[in-house]
Amino acid sequence: MLGAILLQATETTATTTAAQSVGAPVTAYWPVMIFFLVAIIFPVLPIVLGRFLRPMKYLKAKMRPYECGIDPETEAHDRFTVRYYIVAMLFLIFDVETIFLLPWAIIFMGDDFSFTKFALIEMFVFIAILIVGYYYAWRKGALEWA
Amino acid sequence: MFLSLAFQIAIPDPNVNVGLILPELIVGGVGVIVMLVDAFARPTQRWITGGLSLAGLGAAAAASVWMWLNWAGNPPRGFHDMIVLDELRLSFTLIFLFVSALTILISMVWVENEKLPAGEFHSLLLFATTGMMLMASGNDLVIIFLGLEILSIATYVMAGFRRTDLRSNESSLKYFILGSFSSAFLLYGIALIYGATTTTTGFPGTTNITAIAARLDIARYPALLFAGAAMMLVGFGFKIATAPFHVWTPDVYEGAPTPVTAFMAAGPKAAGFASFLRVFIFGFPFVAAAGWAAKANAAWVSAMIVLAIITMTVGNIVAIVQNNVKRMLAYSSIAHAGYALVGFIAAGAATDLDTRNSALAAVAFYMLTYSVMNLGAFAIVTLIARRNDRRTEVEDYNGIGFRAPALSFTLSIFLLSLLGLPLTAGFMGKVMVFSVALKEGFYALVVVAVLNTAVSAYYYLRLIIVMFFRERTTPWSAPRVPASVALAIIITVIGVFYLGLFPNKVIDAFQKKPVTAQALR
Repeated sequence: MLGAILLQATETTATTTAAQSVGAPVTAYWPVMIFFLVAIIFPVLPIVLGRFLRPMKYLKAKMRPYECGIDPETEAHDRFTVRYYIVAMLFLIFDVETIFLLPWAIIFMGDDFSFTKFALIEMFVFIAILIVGYYYAWRKGALEWA
Repeated sequence: MFLSLAFQIAIPDPNVNVGLILPELIVGGVGVIVMLVDAFARPTQRWITGGLSLAGLGAAAAASVWMWLNWAGNPPRGFHDMIVLDELRLSFTLIFLFVSALTILISMVWVENEKLPAGEFHSLLLFATTGMMLMASGNDLVIIFLGLEILSIATYVMAGFRRTDLRSNESSLKYFILGSFSSAFLLYGIALIYGATTTTTGFPGTTNITAIAARLDIARYPALLFAGAAMMLVGFGFKIATAPFHVWTPDVYEGAPTPVTAFMAAGPKAAGFASFLRVFIFGFPFVAAAGWAAKANAAWVSAMIVLAIITMTVGNIVAIVQNNVKRMLAYSSIAHAGYALVGFIAAGAATDLDTRNSALAAVAFYMLTYSVMNLGAFAIVTLIARRNDRRTEVEDYNGIGFRAPALSFTLSIFLLSLLGLPLTAGFMGKVMVFSVALKEGFYALVVVAVLNTAVSAYYYLRLIIVMFFRERTTPWSAPRVPASVALAIIITVIGVFYLGLFPNKVIDAFQKKPVTAQALR
């Protein structure tokens, strides 16, 4: 039963002596299952516990939305100017660039110098393409707020 | 080749062979340059981007032909077997470049008239072309997925390019949602295949198509192979618009700007076929010996037969009741995907390499003929639709036959070619595809396909009758034909007759040369 749930294949494969480097399907998926359970419990538990433990004092000021200490002026369901999204997108591009840079930086210092040279060129090509995109957005007025 | 030489000196690893992806690099690089030019140039100089894009596509085509002429024997591979060079890749690459070049010709004046950003359009088109070329050249599921995403994201934007038009927005959004949905299916299939091809001897899974084919019989979780292949079938089925995964097609094709529709119906569909063929013909090939590999092949071939029959029938029958020309051509494109699947099935079931290669060449040839006649038809639909795609209903074609005889006559040629009238490209494409299927013994399938062709006569001929034999009550003047569109129409008309009368040269070029006589395992 459990095998069927966890996508275990036919019996013939289960009986073969599993090479430890790969791991049998059931054992391989247990950490995922446990992680999934923890992921559900972690947010739900504090909410449920808090409901029973916290003191209940409802004031008008307390029920207002918190905006970093400033008094809220408008409704939360408001239309935002599209510029926020453009800036968010530009931020995202360079954020993702960092994600690509990090593993590259880790394997960069190898013994193989010719590889290092190649990796350096490749990364500059990558960054150059990103800068072209950034420059394009700039020229097209994506950064102008006035 | 300077670039490739310079890199090869610097790189000791023979796997990094930049020359092997030269056409892709050229198209992608020109796309970036077009962006820069668009950012620098004054608004009056924007036509430069179109010419630059055409030059880039021409250079990439030259590079592909050069690669074609300069290798013999075994297909060269590179990037750890992720990129492969063979006839399938090169023939489809040339189809993509042809489609993009014609799309630029059709859209050059249109972009100006509609006051759309030309540079953006051309660079997106070039990036989409890069993605399509990667889809054809990838010998690894990861590269194919990467190419698919490069293609898809550019196409989503292009579908919504007339951003003040609600229909265009709707088209873009629908395409985006269903396209990402199908990409997810494909990705899930890839993940399952990776898991399934883990071997009992302890090797981790693989996404390399050649390696998958070799691992089928020793796969550790054979049941997962079927689930993974089915998921990928659904994912690719979405992309090439086979029924029952076709529901997005008519809405997206109708709402997208007409030149973009022309591109989407010809380019991404051919790209989908290129990687669909690559994954299933080379990843799950015909195997004579009983085992999981033989079972997997039999399973997908039989699933594909059902898909092909449903696709042809649904496409043709629903096209009959359409009153919008773009919707009708969308359903016609679904039907044509079904016809091409007939050749695909023959390639999948082929028992010897020669038959398989001729079936692959037949499908590539079919996609070429379809691209030629489809782009021609959409070029004229673009002209007749005028500004903002207003005139796309069948009534708008009432009685225009004798007021714009040249346009109507040319459109009739394309429609007759789509129908498959002898002497035209459409006929030759169908003959090629159906004959390989007959050779493999799929008689019932071919009978269904031919009956469907007969059904399709209704809606293609209907438009011709509407154009020539209906009275028009409202005033109508013939649209002005810009030089670039005229050039595109002339090229496609010549293509329709050239491919219909002298197909041998193209088919021979598309077909794999028999290096050595070898039977399949």
